[in-house]
Amino acid sequence: MRVFNRVFMIVLFAGLFVLGVYTVVFAFDLFDYRLESLPITNLANGLQDFVGNVEDGGLSVTTQALLVLLAILGLLWFISELRPSAPRRVRMGKGTYVTRSVVQDQVATVAEEVPDVLGSSVNVKARRSPGAQVGLEARVRRGEELGTIKSNLQSTVRERLSAKGLPVSKLNVKLVEADPRQTKTRVQ
Amino acid sequence: MAALATEGVYSLGRGRFVEAATYEGVEKVSGVVVTPEDLEIHIVARYPLPSPIPEIAENIRERVAPEAGGRKTTVIVDDLEVAVDEGL
Repeated sequence: MRVFNRVFMIVLFAGLFVLGVYTVVFAFDLFDYRLESLPITNLANGLQDFVGNVEDGGLSVTTQALLVLLAILGLLWFISELRPSAPRRVRMGKGTYVTRSVVQDQVATVAEEVPDVLGSSVNVKARRSPGAQVGLEARVRRGEELGTIKSNLQSTVRERLSAKGLPVSKLNVKLVEADPRQTKTRVQ
Repeated sequence: MAALATEGVYSLGRGRFVEAATYEGVEKVSGVVVTPEDLEIHIVARYPLPSPIPEIAENIRERVAPEAGGRKTTVIVDDLEVAVDEGL
């Protein structure tokens, strides 16, 4: 959301800057640009018609739908702005935090110690409540018993991390069949 | 020093996103952020861990409590470091 806000503000300020330059140019009749030459009368008439239609309740269905859509978008934006941003560190308990990279390294280490796993990639998200949300993608050989490996991997990771006091509140394991020649480890 | 002497602490951390340090005059203490109400201790834990991280954190809190002056102490594990003598 921060990136979106930044982009939005940059575009807004760039627009205001351009508008300011045009205002100065037209206000002082620079480069043969004159205020009278602008189609302001048409714009003003159009605006007056629109406001008149709103007052009379005579807006077209498309315009009404567009206005409702704008209102919903504004509301959604407002709600998303009110939501607090995700914490950067994983909360462990009373006054103890651990960085995401520590959890990430530990999950990868444990996963790669499981005999069937040839390589892994880990994504860790911190949550407001204690414990990390972990997404583990493990690469295994083709033709292996995926269900067994998955449950084994899940229990091993949870067990080992819990022994180290690293809380995992959610663990998503995804197994990807891979060619051992293209993985970190060929043989376990 | 009390935090450093705790078992399982390899060194004081420097912070991952912003530098964790306290400045007083020309002196700078890295790894500790002291505010009037809070005390934040950043550590790099020794790997393999001698005990679970919450236990190490609790030991640190106990050790620094006499110096903390009633501040709320937060322990942050910035990283894990394999000790040289472990040969991993």
